[in-house]
Amino acid sequence: MTGRPRVADLLHDPVLHGVRTVAGAAGTERVVEDVRWYEGDLDDVDGHLLLCGEADVTPLYRLDALVRRAEEAGAAALLVIAGPARPLLSSVRLADRLRIPVLWLAEDHPVRLVQELTARVRAPQQDRARTVERLLRQLGTKRTGQEILAAAEAVLTARLSLVTSEGDAVLGDPVPPDPALRPERPVPQRGDHVLVHPVLDPDVHRVAAWLACPYERAAEARLETLAIGLAVTEPFLRSWLSAQRAQTVRDSVFQTQLLSEILTGGDSVSRDVVEGAVSLGWQLQGWHVGVHLVADPPGRAGARDPVVERFRAGLAAHGVEPAGAVHRGNGWALWTSTDTEPAPEDARATLDAVRRVIAALPRDRDLAAGIGRPHRGPGGLAETLAEARDAAELARSHDYRPAVEHSDELGVARLLATWQRSEVTRAFADTSLAPLRDPAHAHLLTTLRAYLESGGSVVLTAQALGVHRNTVTARLQQVRERLGVDLDDPSRRLALQVACRALGV
Amino acid sequence: MTRFGPDVLRGIAVEHIDALAAGAALLGSGGGGDVALGSHLLRRALAPAGRRVEVVPAAGLPPGALVVHAGVVGAPDVLAERLLAPGDLARAVEAVVGHLGGDLAAVGVIEIGGLNAVAAVLTAAHLGVPVVDGDLMGRAFPGINQTTAAVAGHPAAPLALVGPAADTVVVPAASPAMAEALIRSCAATMGGAASLAMYPLTAAVLAAHGVRSSLSACHALGTAYLTRDPAAGARALAARLGARLLFEGRVDEIRPPLAGSPGCTTLTSPDGGATARLDHQEEFLAVTLDGVTVAGTPDIIVALAVGSGAPLRADQLRPGHSLVLLGLPALHTWPPGTAALVGPPAFGLDLEAVTTP
Repeated sequence: MTGRPRVADLLHDPVLHGVRTVAGAAGTERVVEDVRWYEGDLDDVDGHLLLCGEADVTPLYRLDALVRRAEEAGAAALLVIAGPARPLLSSVRLADRLRIPVLWLAEDHPVRLVQELTARVRAPQQDRARTVERLLRQLGTKRTGQEILAAAEAVLTARLSLVTSEGDAVLGDPVPPDPALRPERPVPQRGDHVLVHPVLDPDVHRVAAWLACPYERAAEARLETLAIGLAVTEPFLRSWLSAQRAQTVRDSVFQTQLLSEILTGGDSVSRDVVEGAVSLGWQLQGWHVGVHLVADPPGRAGARDPVVERFRAGLAAHGVEPAGAVHRGNGWALWTSTDTEPAPEDARATLDAVRRVIAALPRDRDLAAGIGRPHRGPGGLAETLAEARDAAELARSHDYRPAVEHSDELGVARLLATWQRSEVTRAFADTSLAPLRDPAHAHLLTTLRAYLESGGSVVLTAQALGVHRNTVTARLQQVRERLGVDLDDPSRRLALQVACRALGV
Repeated sequence: MTRFGPDVLRGIAVEHIDALAAGAALLGSGGGGDVALGSHLLRRALAPAGRRVEVVPAAGLPPGALVVHAGVVGAPDVLAERLLAPGDLARAVEAVVGHLGGDLAAVGVIEIGGLNAVAAVLTAAHLGVPVVDGDLMGRAFPGINQTTAAVAGHPAAPLALVGPAADTVVVPAASPAMAEALIRSCAATMGGAASLAMYPLTAAVLAAHGVRSSLSACHALGTAYLTRDPAAGARALAARLGARLLFEGRVDEIRPPLAGSPGCTTLTSPDGGATARLDHQEEFLAVTLDGVTVAGTPDIIVALAVGSGAPLRADQLRPGHSLVLLGLPALHTWPPGTAALVGPPAFGLDLEAVTTP
């Protein structure tokens, strides 16, 4: 059996919405045992919330006597459905003095009010059962999270939010964090001014979000009703979340299929494909530059990979705005589209941007990227993405991360690859790099290789190796000393770079 | 029921006027109109040395002697500004006497509370006849049927009204309801107020049904009030006047009367503890202390301003006033069953029974 509510609890209950406490506020902690409509007699009203109509307080001076007699009879409070009138000061003063709350309601349906109040006070279980039934009825027809929340709010007559563990709103208003709550425990909880119920992730057993219901104060019975209301609402929200996720997967599958159709179709793409591309904001006509990003472990197809999102956002921040990012094979295909042919120096800028962005991403995914050359039209898109993919494969073959290759340089790379495999080159490499070959100096060799691959940039080398650039400078100085060569001489640099590759450093 | 019985007033001269006016103001129960103007006129009428109006008890007149009751009727605001004309009052009495035939033995007081106590004396002075030591209400009431004579079944008519231009209306016969309505509409037509003569009664009827010795009681009350010790507290003053001390406090809220529903004034005691509600229309009708009604019409309720000690009329109350509320006993014990005529219900007040502590 739940404890009886206090007057103040009922005042915060939606059933008394619009009620003003006009007097006797000091008595609002009185316990309400029952509810009674006043019909002229005050027998056995001890602890009752007495309701009376306009006629009982018209003229208004009659309230004086009623307040006194109600107090003498032990009534908990007086609720007057009073129309537009306001009580005499004498009644207010008297109720204040006697500390009996006088509640004022401009207008309501007395029978309904007495019924609902009685249920609140006498039979909270019944009230709860009715709430659950109405909730189930209402929620069954709702589709979106917003609809579910709105329907639950209407039935529970409470404010609801779907929030993250930090209190940020997914749906509804944000809820300030409550120190009494333990977000790490996925169970329903009651804070000082908020009830929360975990909404579990549809795929794995962890909390995806919290269904939160802030309240000012409420009777125990009301809180229990709200808690059950949240429990009833949660599966509906969970299934909505699940549907949301499926939608996202569907979208990404659609994108992958569309892209593969474009790639196989070349310049002759069907009308459907064009429409699909337009709906995604892809411009098929025009110039494209492809970028292929691979990661290890690879992301799941369909899921939004935060690394890709950040990579994309980073590129955009550097002025390279990818039109799409589609899961493809072992990585993601991204590309930029322009109406006019990109200038040769743009290729350099793109390479630079990709290098900078990828260097800023987390290292635990072993990222590598390749960049294609500009090509035109749907067929061009296929071509540049293919080049990007090849370049990414080459980048992946390097043993440092992150690695970036541009397909402009692949022709050279092929040439170099021939050289690398020649015996002459091998012999040169063995001799020239001998001072760095012992394991104690492996880091110097790696630094030299990275320095040469990054075009002689100390900053990019530092980023690629994940060390401070002063460290790179210091190591390069050691390299100079040990090898006795001038790293500023282009011929020397070229020879050393070929040697490094030949050794497969 | 006259508390001041032994001190019988035999005649009214200049020296009696202040006490008479003060007593009338107290007995007005917050209504009855402003006494000041009437008392000035009476002072002028009685100014020639030795002039006095004889005061006789009804029982002291021959049983068949004719007594006509005189006074003014109309809006209090008009009465407060327009001088009453003793000649008009006399003319109204003469019109009634002329209609009935016979000789006028004395003038009677309609209501002892407020202006009409003085108006009757003024009429008697003008006509050179005695004034009866009594009245028909024992206080002030707004309705002309709220009289002991009406309770005893005597009609107000024949009655006469005289306007400021000596326009005279004589009503030979009227039912109680019509008498009231005719008088109100005539007074309105005559500029909001008129001189009125009504209730022509024989001395025997008056001796049987009138309120006795009201002029003497009024004078004695006024004397007691005027000779009070201004430094003494409210309790001492109440004891001196034979009154109950109902409440002392400050006016916090005034809700004026609206369309037949009485106005309510809330007073709070200086310590903030107790609350009193003073219900009023043109007169004070009831005092309710913390939800318990402790005085109700026909009890006479007096509101005295703390400081000056002056009695305040209902229309003179202002928020912030500090008041002493006193309950004077009615000069007349109304017979059972008259609550609907002179009790709270007559004023649209639905109160629980008056509790006398």
